Amino acid sequence: MSFAIETKDLRYTAGKTFQVSQLDMHVPHKSVYGFLGPNGSGKTTTIRLLLGLLKPHAGRVTVLGSEMPASYASVLARTGYVPERPHLYPGLTVDEALRFHGSFYPTWDGRWADDLVRQFALDRQRKIGSLSKGEGGKLQMTLALAQQPDLLVLDEPTDGLDPVVRRDILAAVLQYVTDRSATVLISSHLVHELERICDWVGLMDAGRLVSELPMQDFRSGLKRLRVSDAPDVLSSAPFTLMARDRGTGTVEQWVVRGWTPGMKEYFATVGASLREVVDLDLEEGFVEMLRAARQRAG
Amino acid sequence: MLKAILWSQWKPTRGLVLITSIIAFALPVSSLTITSTLRAQEVTRVMQSYGALYPMLAALTGLLIAMAAWAPDHAGRHTYALSLPVTRSQYAGMRFIAGSAFIGVTAAALLVGTLIVAVAGAIPDGLHVYPVALTFRFALAAMVAYAIFFAISSSTSQTAGVILGVMASILLAQFVLAMMEVDFNLIEKVGEFLAYRPGLFSVFAGRWMLIDA
Repeated sequence: MSFAIETKDLRYTAGKTFQVSQLDMHVPHKSVYGFLGPNGSGKTTTIRLLLGLLKPHAGRVTVLGSEMPASYASVLARTGYVPERPHLYPGLTVDEALRFHGSFYPTWDGRWADDLVRQFALDRQRKIGSLSKGEGGKLQMTLALAQQPDLLVLDEPTDGLDPVVRRDILAAVLQYVTDRSATVLISSHLVHELERICDWVGLMDAGRLVSELPMQDFRSGLKRLRVSDAPDVLSSAPFTLMARDRGTGTVEQWVVRGWTPGMKEYFATVGASLREVVDLDLEEGFVEMLRAARQRAG
Repeated sequence: MLKAILWSQWKPTRGLVLITSIIAFALPVSSLTITSTLRAQEVTRVMQSYGALYPMLAALTGLLIAMAAWAPDHAGRHTYALSLPVTRSQYAGMRFIAGSAFIGVTAAALLVGTLIVAVAGAIPDGLHVYPVALTFRFALAAMVAYAIFFAISSSTSQTAGVILGVMASILLAQFVLAMMEVDFNLIEKVGEFLAYRPGLFSVFAGRWMLIDA
């Protein structure tokens, strides 16, 4: 498998307490990679490291086959970036922002930018400083898409936007991915939002990449099990036990990863019995994975 | 790209350029109205007093245009500029060139004002008008001020720390010299070095005369 983004042992420290540590991240080519994590977990810092906006203290970053931050100019020419906070020049009008941005990209598609402006109902003569949050988000997405990037990096692109604008923006991203086979890295703390569009998930917590797996595995293999008469110590379990809640009675609740129906037989071999298998949605899975990671970290 | 940078920078700068250009045009013209009935010696004296205003205007022009050059990027914490597909030096270079062009506008206004003095003014015998020399010097001084403030405004906190460190080192060295009772004024020497030829600020020092012998 080839990767559009790959990091190896990436480290970065900011201030006395925050650090991105030993980050090994792999974003496959032509995938939509959901970068999940609670607020303050280090998603934005990681994205800034990937794009060469920050310089790592150690480790290696490769984006679209080029080393970062050494090759930042050529990589950014092929990357559309929508940052977490508004960053465009507030004194420019929408029309001027389009011309300004387009002048930096040889791949800029002015006609498509015009289509997107119409689709998003943006007023070309309005100053950026007077746009609402939703309009600003749409404009940023227009700029990122019209440059026809091979890689789209979207840092909380829909945070704080109303559902209609969120839907419009995500629809535009999906349309782009379908048409151009681009790679998308999209960060969010809104788990349900990514569930529909991502085929890979990376979970970040406290500056560490806790887990990275295909969405399919995340969805299908993540279960809550109700088990009775389970031994204290499990031997050679065919799944990964992420959390174990013993409760007060004999029935325990387990959260497991890598579950397949054929694993039911395992419980008889350890003298336990499986009462129920419950599907977890992405948000529940996200919470359980975080909880398990925090327990492991102590 | 440069055209786009020029336009994006012109918008927040144009008001400042207009103000400095009006002042630059008005200074020589107003000096002409005052000196029109005076004799040669009095004209020189008036021109000398006006001469202090030109370097001040040059420094102010450089400062304002430099601050305006980075204002949009500061507002967005430089995120947008850093995410554009150009090298940092190329981007800073284009911003610098754009600001330099705006200094040219103010300098051109000064040139027009001084040329009016040269053409319309009744210059007493023995005196000459130096419109081009004064304008050239003004442009050079404004560029020096612009370059310094542009660099400071664009610099990182690390660079600002280095500048402050150098200044602190000079003060500390002066303190040590004083403690050792060495008769050497380091601060004065540094000031002289910067203000007089070939110092960085020497263009601001000396006589700025539009009309002189």
